[in-house]
Amino acid sequence: MDFSFFLSAFLRLLPGVPLTLQLAFVSVGLGMVLALILALLRLSRIRPFEWIARAYIFLFRSTPLLVQIFLIYYGLSQFPTVRYSVLWPILRQPYWCAIIALALNTAAYGSEIIRGGLRSVPEGQIEAARACGMSRITVFRRIVLPLAIRQALPAYGNEIILMVKATALASVITMMEITGLAAKLISESYRAVEVFVVAGSIYLIINYVITRVIHLLEYWLTPHLRSVSTPVVIEREDAA
Amino acid sequence: MNDFGVMTVFSFAPGGWGAAMAAASAMTIAVAMAGFIAGAIIGTFGAWAKISGGRIVRSVADGYTTVLRGIPDLLVIYLFYFGSSAVLTPIGRFFGANGFLSLPAFFAGCLAIAIVSGAYHTEVFRGAYQVVALGEIDAAYATGMSRALAFRRIIAPLTLRFALPGLANIWQLVLKESSLISVTGLVEILRQSQIGAGSTKQPFTFFLAAAILYLLISSASGWLLQFAERHFTRGLRRG
Amino acid sequence: MSLPQQQHEPADEIVPAVRIRDLRKAYGAFEVLKGVSLDANDGDVVSILGSSGSGKSTMLRCINMLETPTGGEVSIGGETIRMKQTKAGPKPADRAQVDRLRAHVGMVFQSFNLWSHKTVLENVIEAPLHVQGRSRAECVEEAKELLAKVGIGDKLNHYPIHLSGGQQQRAAIARALGQRPRVMLFDEPTSALDPELVGEVLKVMRALAEEGRTMLVVTHEMGFAREVSSKVVFLHKGVVEEEGRPDKVFSSSRSERLRQFLMR
Repeated sequence: MDFSFFLSAFLRLLPGVPLTLQLAFVSVGLGMVLALILALLRLSRIRPFEWIARAYIFLFRSTPLLVQIFLIYYGLSQFPTVRYSVLWPILRQPYWCAIIALALNTAAYGSEIIRGGLRSVPEGQIEAARACGMSRITVFRRIVLPLAIRQALPAYGNEIILMVKATALASVITMMEITGLAAKLISESYRAVEVFVVAGSIYLIINYVITRVIHLLEYWLTPHLRSVSTPVVIEREDAA
Repeated sequence: MNDFGVMTVFSFAPGGWGAAMAAASAMTIAVAMAGFIAGAIIGTFGAWAKISGGRIVRSVADGYTTVLRGIPDLLVIYLFYFGSSAVLTPIGRFFGANGFLSLPAFFAGCLAIAIVSGAYHTEVFRGAYQVVALGEIDAAYATGMSRALAFRRIIAPLTLRFALPGLANIWQLVLKESSLISVTGLVEILRQSQIGAGSTKQPFTFFLAAAILYLLISSASGWLLQFAERHFTRGLRRG
Repeated sequence: MSLPQQQHEPADEIVPAVRIRDLRKAYGAFEVLKGVSLDANDGDVVSILGSSGSGKSTMLRCINMLETPTGGEVSIGGETIRMKQTKAGPKPADRAQVDRLRAHVGMVFQSFNLWSHKTVLENVIEAPLHVQGRSRAECVEEAKELLAKVGIGDKLNHYPIHLSGGQQQRAAIARALGQRPRVMLFDEPTSALDPELVGEVLKVMRALAEEGRTMLVVTHEMGFAREVSSKVVFLHKGVVEEEGRPDKVFSSSRSERLRQFLMR
């Protein structure tokens, strides 16, 4: 085995890490805001709003992300109005197109996770907050949202990992993140297996760290689920 | 763009892109289905390894699902498309072939989808097996069924029934995954759309058409799968 | 009935349908069965009583090797199940032998355990068809008779989940009968049933006993044990505390524990 190649491949791919992380976190951040809005529309009990949210979620979940990326990056340039608009400086950049597509996409999946979290808040706790005289907005901000976030956190952690994986698609529209650099290195060296191992390991490390952070977050956010006393070691009686 | 643009672009007449897009849709379905089935076979072994394998076999299966959950699918596609040439080219040269050999894009794509979806299949089958009531398996052995017969007549059919919702999810995933294979040049929906977009200078029209085709295939197959699920689980539901 | 008769036994010696010698079963350090012996001859109805944890269900499940005993011997129709020692404890030496013997031991479980993906009829014909290799027409014919006999002849094409508990248990009895069993094992067959459904299952079991079927019944139904069985065995903490004819055991039991058990 050629360890020097592994090392040089690692050094070649490392510069892609910041871009991968940027794409993932910016799009997850933007997507989360949109996801919350969609979840609220979906639960608003106002028919047109519900319908819009449903349609959005359906459309983005039943089409491939790569098609969505192409529609935004290549597709929008078909319209002169877009090309001459103030948004063109953003929409002609692959970086922003990737982020927009990733954010729109994760918003659809994220809103279903948030909706599940919101629906899991027990009716009794909302009533109790109302009974204290809290306004609807205060109830939402102080009681419902915190409880929903705790409930939705594990699933959202999984969604973040999926988004880190999805950033690889940005390489198809020329972004040189980890996978982009890996594809370039493969075409130069013809050593697909080695490059795959190195790139795969980098992704695994990133995702492992994210998983740990989510676990920590879960731990911090759920003090009420931790046991108060020190665990008791139950000694088994000798069964006679 | 004039009003008749879309109709003429996608007409089935000579010069229209209708026939090409239809053929590409068939290719998408074919590659997704082949990958899905091969993935199910991998998943069967994976689940078996996790349920009743020894420590080594089990940790290999655990490693497989963990790794595949953490790395981008596009990377797996690159591995099979370009990696196959690293293996095949020297073999080809040995037999006197000159130049660059690699797996056909269809085959490499199937393999990549199979490896990726195999990890999901593993978890779905394992979860479904765990839902099968132990008593029903006991009852099978109690009538004198051999392990193989009990597996074939009782355990496998029950596991498959519990796995149906999960399998439907994997199918939807695989269908969307298959669009990534366009990077290898396989002419499925997305690749065909890229070709059309390039030659007509109407990228939005073509990628929108691609999105609609995926939507149609996904909805139609979702409807079929729901029907199948209702049919096969009628003994598992009340009312 | 066609039975797997042992050829080599002398004709005048009675071959017990089930013979258990010094049966032991331990989970780790915990001994559930500490040496149990029992004979059941053809036509016997043996009721096995005992409080929970006494080992009675474990004993029954050792007879057809759903539990692997850690010691002792089980014979069915005079044929002893061969065991071998492995690192993980004793195992049947020949799985094929176990499968062959099981084919003629019908078992009725506490929780019915009907195969949920098969209709009632399919449940009954499954083993005769695929284990015993009989013809489909014959299996279906016989299954219909058996289901009529247990009183659910009109439920042939229902799935188990759509039947009441009592109907499910009667279907399970029909399934066991479909194996043309030499011995039937009942593992607390009425314990999972609503009280008002117990009677219909017991009625079927009484009818089977009257036919002269060989039955081993783990049960809490004292009425059944007293009136139907030819022998009662009381297990306590993994040993046979008392056994004998029901009139003797119930009226003048020597064991203080059995008297306590019967008083509850």
